Amino acid sequence: MSLALIAALPFLGALLPGIMIRAGRNTCALATGSVTALALIGLLLHAPAVLQGEVIQTQITWMPLLGLNANFFLDGLGLLFAGLILGIGLLIITYARFYLAKSDPMGQFYTYLLLFQGAMVGIVLSDNILLLLIFWELTSLSSFLLIGYWRHLPEGRQGARMALAVTGMGGLALIGGMLILGHIVGSYELTVILENRELIQQSDLYAPALLLILLGAFTKSAQFPFHFWLPHAMAAPTPVSAYLHSATMVKAGLFLMARLWPVLSGTDLWFWLVAGAGLITMVMGAVIALFKDDLKGLLAFSTVSHLGLITMLLGIGTDVAAVVAVFHIINHATFKAALFMTAGIIDHEAHTRDIKRLGGLRTLMPVTFVLATVASLSMAGIPPLNGFLSKEMMLEQAADVGFFFGLMVTIGAMFSVAYSLRYIVHVFLGPKRDDYPAKPHDPGFGMWVSPALLVVLVVLIGLFPNTIVGPLVATTGGAVIGSTDLPYYSLALWHGFNIALLMSVAAVALGYLVLRFHPLFEELWNDARRPEAKEIFDALIDLCARGADRVTNLLHDGAMTRYLAIFTASAVLFGFAAFMGGTHGSGTRETLPMSVVPIIGWLLIITATIVTLMVHRNRLLSLVMVAVIGLIISIGFAYLSAPDLALTQLSVEVVTVILLLLALHYLPKETPVESTPGRRIRDGAIAGFAGLGVTGLLYAIMTRDHDTISWFHLEQSYPGGGGTNVVNVILVDFRGFDTFGEIIVLGVAALGIYAIIDAALRGPASRRLANFKPDFRRAGDRHPMMMVVATRVILPVALTVGVFIFLRGHNEPGGGFIAGLVVSIALLMQYMASGFTWAQKRQRFDYHAIIAAGIIIAALTGVGSWFYDAPFLSSAFDYYTIPPLSEFELASAIAFDVGVFLTVVGSVMLALAELSRIGRHTSVSVNKDAMDIDPRADTPAAKVEGH
Amino acid sequence: MIASDLTVALPEVLLAVFAMAALMAGAYGGKDKLAVPILWATAAVFVLMALVIGVGSYETRTAFGGLFIADAFAQFSKLIILISAAVVMVMGQDYLTSRNLMRFEYPVLITLAVVGMMVMVSAGDLITLYMGLELQSLSLYVIAAMRRDSQKSTEAGLKYFILGALASGLLLYGASLAYGYAGTTQFAGIISTIDEDGMSLGLLMGLAFILAGLAFKVSAAPFHMWTPDVYEGAPTAVTAFFATAPKVAAMALLARVVHEAFGAVPGDWSQIIALLAVLSMFVGAIAAIGQRDIKRLMAYSSITHMGFAMVGLAAGSAQGVQAMLIYMAIYVTMNIGMFAFILSMSRDGRPVTTIDSLNQYAKAEPLRALALLILLFSLAGVPPLVGFFGKFYVLWAAVEAGMIWLAVAGVIASVIGAFYYLRIVYYMYFGVETDPLDSAMPPIQSGLLIASAAIMVLGVVNLFGVEGLAAMAADSLVR
Repeated sequence: MSLALIAALPFLGALLPGIMIRAGRNTCALATGSVTALALIGLLLHAPAVLQGEVIQTQITWMPLLGLNANFFLDGLGLLFAGLILGIGLLIITYARFYLAKSDPMGQFYTYLLLFQGAMVGIVLSDNILLLLIFWELTSLSSFLLIGYWRHLPEGRQGARMALAVTGMGGLALIGGMLILGHIVGSYELTVILENRELIQQSDLYAPALLLILLGAFTKSAQFPFHFWLPHAMAAPTPVSAYLHSATMVKAGLFLMARLWPVLSGTDLWFWLVAGAGLITMVMGAVIALFKDDLKGLLAFSTVSHLGLITMLLGIGTDVAAVVAVFHIINHATFKAALFMTAGIIDHEAHTRDIKRLGGLRTLMPVTFVLATVASLSMAGIPPLNGFLSKEMMLEQAADVGFFFGLMVTIGAMFSVAYSLRYIVHVFLGPKRDDYPAKPHDPGFGMWVSPALLVVLVVLIGLFPNTIVGPLVATTGGAVIGSTDLPYYSLALWHGFNIALLMSVAAVALGYLVLRFHPLFEELWNDARRPEAKEIFDALIDLCARGADRVTNLLHDGAMTRYLAIFTASAVLFGFAAFMGGTHGSGTRETLPMSVVPIIGWLLIITATIVTLMVHRNRLLSLVMVAVIGLIISIGFAYLSAPDLALTQLSVEVVTVILLLLALHYLPKETPVESTPGRRIRDGAIAGFAGLGVTGLLYAIMTRDHDTISWFHLEQSYPGGGGTNVVNVILVDFRGFDTFGEIIVLGVAALGIYAIIDAALRGPASRRLANFKPDFRRAGDRHPMMMVVATRVILPVALTVGVFIFLRGHNEPGGGFIAGLVVSIALLMQYMASGFTWAQKRQRFDYHAIIAAGIIIAALTGVGSWFYDAPFLSSAFDYYTIPPLSEFELASAIAFDVGVFLTVVGSVMLALAELSRIGRHTSVSVNKDAMDIDPRADTPAAKVEGH
Repeated sequence: MIASDLTVALPEVLLAVFAMAALMAGAYGGKDKLAVPILWATAAVFVLMALVIGVGSYETRTAFGGLFIADAFAQFSKLIILISAAVVMVMGQDYLTSRNLMRFEYPVLITLAVVGMMVMVSAGDLITLYMGLELQSLSLYVIAAMRRDSQKSTEAGLKYFILGALASGLLLYGASLAYGYAGTTQFAGIISTIDEDGMSLGLLMGLAFILAGLAFKVSAAPFHMWTPDVYEGAPTAVTAFFATAPKVAAMALLARVVHEAFGAVPGDWSQIIALLAVLSMFVGAIAAIGQRDIKRLMAYSSITHMGFAMVGLAAGSAQGVQAMLIYMAIYVTMNIGMFAFILSMSRDGRPVTTIDSLNQYAKAEPLRALALLILLFSLAGVPPLVGFFGKFYVLWAAVEAGMIWLAVAGVIASVIGAFYYLRIVYYMYFGVETDPLDSAMPPIQSGLLIASAAIMVLGVVNLFGVEGLAAMAADSLVR
């Protein structure tokens, strides 16, 4: 049978239990069992060839680009593990059939179990490490489902969560490790990786790869310091514990270490990490196991201890130790699975797993007693059982490492004997009790047949090791050490008098004594304060969660100011990093000489900026300061020979300040205090750095020669656009399309103001405005006569200036935009001087229409060029002479400029009109007369006119 | 000339026209009564455009003198954008209607945003880039604050707008520096300038600020602050949209800028992107741990995911781009499933978004809980679900590019990140008893939830062939 099929069978079969459960529980179990049996038969068909030393491979391309292929291979190690998984799986399925109560959803259970089984088989058969990873995580997932199977038990939940957290995270670490390993070798095929020992061990990435891989293996196999999850996962149904936590899943970590043993082992790092962790785990697990009153807790820690033992053997790094590890894996799987099942039987029949409430079951449950006793004695390492064989060999290996190792493993073995005997003595021996929660009796055949089969194996392997498992151990050992040249070892009960025997005898004797004085030790143990790994884990998680919360709150306190601060600081850092990355020194370009005017301007800007900061809570004052800055900038433009910009800046400044003044009038004149000194310092620092950064950048850039595209515009302005004012030509010709877009935006902005104010005045804001009280006393002269007269006199002049600026725009400083602003200012002055009502009466333009007209004219100008087969907004110009005037130029751009002009005027005036509408909503009286003191006030005609 | 240009950008043009038409129809024809028909029509148009683009030529064509590029990369991104936008819109319709939020402007704004995104991924010029980006952003600002009577929504929208404007400013600053030093705004021109004269300081600064601005759009740390607030504040249907198409567009845009304009100097930007990636992965993973609100959690999760996608980009290779595209495709699929569920979360008809309301959900709704479990595991990147392949692809690209540290950081971040996804699973399966959520779930939402979970499982066979398409797209970008 193809290896891929063997791995796929349990997955495919996982569908069966769900369907078959309708046909009854027996059919369901039978269906599940037959799936596993089929896979096992498929596997065993390959066994003869594998035992001959062949390696069987199946290759299926999956995602070749990623190096991920569904490649499987089967060698001794794979055979051993796959055999264990499927063989014990079969027994567990049988056992579970009788163990599960009627109310438990059995179909679901078998589905999960088969999923898990498939994942495990996948791990041990994978040739591709990525494929292995996938199966690895699948075991985490399916085991999560299995452990959490009994949802109503709170410990079950806790256990499932912790198991998933620890093994899941280990699995993710393993991904990293495997990726690095694949990167070193250049292939993700295990068969290739296993041949590259030198390459891997000499790579710089060996250490991180090893660490990550071991993290995965240790978490899975519950090695110190990740041993704590396993006992808590024991809340799961016993078949699950027996299968996952003794025979299979926890061995996945061991499998991985054994699989990669040829390429990873042999270094100091490997020895200290693996052998060290293994030794600690072994001793610690054994000690804790002795003091567990829960049968499954005892077995769980005993499992931890034995896993540590195997890990230690793998860590020692010699070939013999590796073979012994393999042998012990077999032995442990047999006796531990049997023990778990007996624990389950006791729980099932006596309704308790608490050793303190048991005892004297020998006569009540004779079959169980025999099975448990034989398995326990094997676990204790009593001859002639299989546990004894591998323990002897283990002791010998440990003694070879050094005295300390020898001593420690003897202590471990001693406790191991003690808890193994406790399982017999405190549970089965002793007087019968009359307070069992239920009346214990032996279960039916179906439930004890599985452990019985295993116990038979325990005895047979102990008596005839070479016959039963000799070839398997040899092949597997060969696969682990990666060579067919096996070291010398002998599987036998009697090796003569040697140090190992001495250690073994000492362990048994002392172990017996420890058990004798168990109550004494127990008291000591209970009094001793010791770190509880689960509590540490919980505290650690809690600490992490709280730490994370703190970080989060620091970053996301919801305050905009903090967001902005982080944002700006990050941007500054970004700029700084880039700045330091380039050649940022001063360039070679000569700097201009300093002169008085710019220095004064510079000082003024700085002063105004600082004053703005200081008075920023006073809205009007800061507006004035900002206006000062704007004015100096416009002077700066004039100084640097940019009269157009200067003019534009100046007129924009005036218009915006006037409009802003109007808008601010209805807001409180002072803003509330909202920043603390600390925040001001922080913001000041960030702002300072940002400013310095920009300065540095400007300096670095401006001291270098660089090309600009000014020359193009200068050269092309007259021949191409027919104007000598380059700025205007750019605006209405070269970049006419941009300008077109901009005036549309301007118009939309004005409409936006209209829409917002219009809506606001109909809402609650209107009521607030009705109660508006000005902050300041009104000035005595609201519309002084002199100003009224002056503005009226100036109006024609200002309009003429507007027209003048408009017309000269193409060749001299000026243009539609500036002209529009100038005219707007002239009109604004009328409103300010004479009041809105008076001024409005005298010019009844629809500003919406003006804006629309402006945009339409500009658009038509653009469209016009289509009639001459030119692209949108192509300009044309020619020269005309109308006597008596001298020759003048007429460019199509001037029509476009008219559009700009109209839009600007319309937008500004619309904004003004809307702002003044606010004023008329307030309860403050609005004068209808043009002047505070009208010289004609006495004449009746004026009164009529005024109203 | 114009005609051939318009053909290249035909889908965008058609969509823009459709948006105007829908707006007019809505404004003059019945207002919000037309909202649902417009929404369905929009979704249909999106799918239609996706078909048009999908069957169109894979060759690289440029239009408007290089301002606009239609190539396999743009094609791939646009397909994801259009389909996810259509799906998310349809998915959220029940939610919006039942909460009286269904305005006819909603589908129109989404259409405009989608047009912006399509322009973004096709940008061949800094100006096109900006135009697309702002069209998208402005539409998004408005929809983020769509629930105008909710303080949270309005606040979120405002924050998003202010920070977004700042980011746009930063981007423009960078773009103007780049323009000043390359003498052109076209990507092709910038890259040839770099080829000839090397990387000047101005270009370097320009690159840094452009990246910072774009980092905001993909919500990469440290420019991510808006994300949780907007995700939480916006109506869930809008959040679902935020979590899908715009992310793809911004990511694709990022890839395009760095490869088309600065592809000659991968060293200069891959470090920055790697830094953004690491920060995002960790900030997202760590901050998500303490979240109690599933929408906020998804926000942080999206930050982490963007970090992962950027790991691919940081590799600076065609493989990296391919990995990023695959990642984004998978990410969008998972998020659609997640949000299909979140949209349906309600108790007594009122929406709830707290995580502990999921307690014991598995008992009440085993099938949906299982689907959700698959999605969450997939989001966490647990093999063999499809989410794992996404993560694996980007990590692989980083390793191949020699950025081992980045891959290791990615693994560590995914370990941290796994924690909070698993916590939801834990609540669902083992939580304490609480009042159950409403079991009613509109068929579209439950269908999408199950479908997305099924994709996460079935996709392991060959990722539905996305690999090959993404490879082709990446090759068209990285030459």
